[in-house]
Amino acid sequence: MSYLLLSARRTVIPAIFLILCCVAVVLFGEGYHVRVAYMFFVNLVIVAGLQVFMGNSNVANLGHMSFAGIAAYAVAVLYTPTALKATLIPNAPFGLATIQLDFVTASVIALALTAVIGWLSGLALCRLSGVAATIGTLALLVIVHVVFVNWIDITRGPRAFFGIPVALGLPWAVGAAVLAIFVARWFRDSSDGLQLRASGDNLLAARSMGVNIQRVRLKAWVLSATIVGMGGVLFALFMGTIAPNSFYFTQTFLTIAMLILGGMRSVSGAITGTFIVAVGFEFVRTLENGPEILGVQLPTMFGLTGFFLGAIIVIFLALRPDGLLGTDEFEDHWAAFRQRLRARK
Amino acid sequence: MDYFLQQSLNALSVGGEYALLALGLAIVFSVIRLVNFAHGELIALGGYAMYLSVLFAAPPVYALIPICIFVAMLSAVCFERVAFRPVRNAPPTTGLLTAFGVSILVQNILVIFVATRPKPVPTPDWMGGTMSIGDLDVPVVQVLETIVTVVAITGLLLLLRKTQIGLAMRAAAKDFVTVRMMGVRANRVIMTAFAVSGLLAGIAAVFIISRRGAVDPFMGFIPVLKAFVACVLGGFGSLAGALVGGLVLGCAEVFLQVVLPSQVAGFRDAFVFLMVGLILVMKPEGLVGKKVELGDKDE
Repeated sequence: MSYLLLSARRTVIPAIFLILCCVAVVLFGEGYHVRVAYMFFVNLVIVAGLQVFMGNSNVANLGHMSFAGIAAYAVAVLYTPTALKATLIPNAPFGLATIQLDFVTASVIALALTAVIGWLSGLALCRLSGVAATIGTLALLVIVHVVFVNWIDITRGPRAFFGIPVALGLPWAVGAAVLAIFVARWFRDSSDGLQLRASGDNLLAARSMGVNIQRVRLKAWVLSATIVGMGGVLFALFMGTIAPNSFYFTQTFLTIAMLILGGMRSVSGAITGTFIVAVGFEFVRTLENGPEILGVQLPTMFGLTGFFLGAIIVIFLALRPDGLLGTDEFEDHWAAFRQRLRARK
Repeated sequence: MDYFLQQSLNALSVGGEYALLALGLAIVFSVIRLVNFAHGELIALGGYAMYLSVLFAAPPVYALIPICIFVAMLSAVCFERVAFRPVRNAPPTTGLLTAFGVSILVQNILVIFVATRPKPVPTPDWMGGTMSIGDLDVPVVQVLETIVTVVAITGLLLLLRKTQIGLAMRAAAKDFVTVRMMGVRANRVIMTAFAVSGLLAGIAAVFIISRRGAVDPFMGFIPVLKAFVACVLGGFGSLAGALVGGLVLGCAEVFLQVVLPSQVAGFRDAFVFLMVGLILVMKPEGLVGKKVELGDKDE
């Protein structure tokens, strides 16, 4: 219980920051800004979820977006009105075309489904380490994508699934982001999290100390899948349209670049990285469309955003593989700062 | 019978192409434990070198083939020098993520400076034709691809068995530290491994492009994913495994294409990757590998 309180206290700094961001956007932003801010919170949820497994276990994970996809499609199928579903997916199995739930029930069922699929995939994946584990997660991403594209009766295949009613707004996204950060912090501080971090530092040493590596990895994997799934639900219930490519390599690398830049070993790193990459990404996207700056018309350069992501991944892994924050959390820096002040007196 | 022979040749040529790419991945992995996902971009860069030289210099068509192979080799060595050397001592997953970064970087450089749309590239006319063996009409490309694969693999074996640098590479695959203590330069061994992988990718690129007749920035992605599967099938880092894995995957794909009904054909890649997952979990040493326990002495 004390851990719960401690983690809650440690979530306060980022939570205040996020809420301020949200208030600023609501007060001063236009529709476009709201959209950008919402996507920032969605990505933050996904990156926090990614951090739970990848950051603590030190196993690179490329399959996380498949869970966002599963949750998003599940909530889309359950929440879209039956009248619309009769034309979108008339042949859906299990009578799914004829039922409609409210968005809370739909989200809960979607997350439960994601957790179950996460648990099943985790049974196999948590037995792997190093490169083999990463390849395994990649295989998961490809398999889930192929299913999305080909199970036309329920996902509409490569054509987008549209017409999902918009149910959520910015406050929900902030709430979800704060919850995701809190859960990620709580897991990192917990005994399981500590054991998993030890196994990430040195697998054999941790095992010889009695850490049951498969068990803690599986826990982190299911938790990570559920949090990432929450990101998928947020995405579907705001955008209203989802397609298999929303949950494939582009989004995978965007979120991985965010985590690597900030430093995957800490939750604060995940938050910092998401913020910096999101701001940089918007800036580069403006450049990409060829804006006019000081009377000079710049050419449009498609591919600049992808170039930016690739450059972040390559440069940071080469020069600062631990990211900006390394293993530090915000309060570590805060404590060090206070100590320096005290020393000066 | 004719149909069977034709499909067999098809399987051999597809398998040969995968084997060439998988060997390139395996040779790099065996030396520095790097899963080089940017391998596919070597194909794209070779292709774009062909396209650009047609655009600016218009050389004779047969001269494009050595240009493609040379540029692929050069790019492989550049990747090593610029991107992979700084992460050489990092854990293998860091290298894997770097390779993905390089891959995205190169793809988008091609998008920015050339175009997203496919660009046509000429290949010699005779490669597109068919030839008769007995009473069988077969595409020249397929025969040529099978022969070239055999030649390239023989060349690779000669390099590994008969030269000093080949010996160093084989030794490095077992124990790099000891190799360095023997006075062999690490950089030279790694450079050679990348150059060889670039050469093999360049050869594969010529055939891939002669089939498609065009290049686009993302063309390397699917072939390298397949090569990757081939490596896992054969056991990662084993050269014999990469060869066998490539051929098995080629045969399996052609077989599934012929056999699977059209409703489930779309799920083919899901089956392939499910197989990859199962092999990783149940038999990580691959189809032909031997299980090695800690402390085993290998012959």
